Formats: sequence, structure tokens, C-alpha cells
Amino acid sequence: MLSRKQARQGFAYDALDSVIHERARLSVLTSLVTHPKGLGFADLKTMCALTDGNLSRHLQVLKTAKFVEITKDVDNNRPHTFCRITAVGRKRYLEYLAVLEQVIRDVVAGEKTEAAAEPTQVPA
Amino acid sequence: MADLYKALAQIHAIRGQVARGTEFRGYGPETVAATGLLAGAAAVFQSVCLKSPGSSAAGYLAIWITTAALALLVTGFQTVTRTRRVHPGLARQMIFSAGESFVPAIGAGVLVTLVLMRSAPRELWMLPGLWQIFYGLGIFASCRFLPRQMLAVGVWFLATGALCLTTGTGSHALSAWEMGFPFGIGQLLIAAVLRFGYRETEDDA
Repeated sequence: MLSRKQARQGFAYDALDSVIHERARLSVLTSLVTHPKGLGFADLKTMCALTDGNLSRHLQVLKTAKFVEITKDVDNNRPHTFCRITAVGRKRYLEYLAVLEQVIRDVVAGEKTEAAAEPTQVPA
Repeated sequence: MADLYKALAQIHAIRGQVARGTEFRGYGPETVAATGLLAGAAAVFQSVCLKSPGSSAAGYLAIWITTAALALLVTGFQTVTRTRRVHPGLARQMIFSAGESFVPAIGAGVLVTLVLMRSAPRELWMLPGLWQIFYGLGIFASCRFLPRQMLAVGVWFLATGALCLTTGTGSHALSAWEMGFPFGIGQLLIAAVLRFGYRETEDDA
């Protein structure tokens, strides 16, 4: 049975944004949020352990959601793609992180309550 | 359970890393300017009430330690409330990061004051200059997450501190304006940098 507090707070976690809540995109955003000046496509690919096609697809999703901005230029006659997190992306990522933290704290609290409720075994 | 605590630690580490790359906007220009005016007021108070500070170091210390404590208290309270407002989700890390940069300089100032009071009371004339130098070092340490122009304010405090150490002996010892002028102007300069020095970002929109 749920405690009053649990019933009041619920476990809906509405702010767990589905755009961010995907392993590869979470990895991309974490890399970009910890490098506020931005990262090149090749560095991002290595950091997130993704293939070219996979990274492009996820970046497109993040770009559509306005979470990242992508610039393309030419460096030493070679095309260079540069990715940077936007202010909106950064804000939403931090909100996501707060909810994720709350999810884990709720699980920890639940496990502690369960452990406390278990009857202690008295040796015969 | 260990995995859960590991995940919480990782979230904490990510937040810390984001905080380190974020410009700190928790210091309020108005409050900092008010502390500059407070320094000016303390200097006027000293020049009226303490005619010969060289022979009454205790009175001098009482005035300026009270002023500094009051300024720190007001700035600290305002910084915490403002940081919670302007850096939601990162407030704790940003306040810790700001404190980590500035508090050692304050600590060094307190320590030197105690040592001079206890072991070398004849050298107390050096305190205004040393306080300004320590304050300047605190500003330099904080520059990495403040507008770049803040470096100039750090230089101001180093220069005024060096000047006080050069000229603050004899009849000029512990003069009211050795503290009132550098801190009054310096705090107003900090307020101006905080007010006009930040880059415009999408967050401001």
C-alpha cells in the first residue's frame, strides 16, 4: 500500500522528456552540455561511441527540438561539422537531470522503507 | 543499492562539470554597489569618531571588521537567493564553485589579521594593504566564471594594496581613506562590471 506522501507526489515524472530520454541522445547532450563551446562531429562520434549515420540521425532529432545547433564550414578544404547545445537544450537537460535524480532518490527511499519493514530474524 | 548511489554521484558530477563551464550571475550589482557605499560611510565614521587610529588599533579593527562582516553577510544572503533564481537546477554547485574561489582569500585575510594582532601588533599598519591584496587575489580566482573586465578590478585592488603598503606608515598609518577609497571605488567598479559586463545570451531573452 502506498504511503500518503507517495500517493500525493505520485511517480508520473512528466518532465522526463522523451527526446532526451534515449541512450544515444542523452549521451550526445551530456557531451555537449559539459563542453559549452561545442564539439566537432568527429569528437562527438568518438565520445558517444556512435556511427556516422546514427549520430546524424540523433543530431537531427535534437536540432528539430531546438536543443542543439549545427554549423557546417570548410577547414583545410575538408567539410567540418560543429555541434553546440542551445540555451533551450541546456535548460531542458538540467530539468531532465533533476527529474532523473528524483527517480533514483524515490527508488532509494523505497528500498530503505522496504528494508526497515522486513522483520528481523531472531536466532533460535 | 550501490548502483543507485553511483548513479546519484554521476548526476552530481555532471552538474558540477556544467557549473564549472557556466558564467556565474549570482552576484547582484546593486548589493555590491551598496557595500561600496558602506565602505565610504565607514571611512567617514572613522574620520569623525577615531581621530588617531594609529594609537587605537582596536577601534580601527572594530570599525572595519564590523563593516566587512556586514558586507559579507548582506552579499552572501543576496548571492544565495539570486543564484537560486538565475541558476535553477545548478544553484548549489554554482554557489559552491563561487565560494571555493573566493573564500580562501577571505580566510587568508582573517588569518593574517589574527597573526598580526597576536604576534606583531606594531605591524598592524600593513593590514589595509594586505586586505586589499588578498581581496584582489580572490577576485582573480573568481574571474574564470565572471565577465573578463573583472580582471581590471583585481588589478585595481592589487595596485591600491601595494600603494597602501608603500605609503601607509608613520602619520598615515590606518588612515580612514586607506580603506574607504580603495574598497568604495573598487566595489562600485565590480558593480559596474556585473551590470554591464555579461555577454547577452538567449537566456536573457
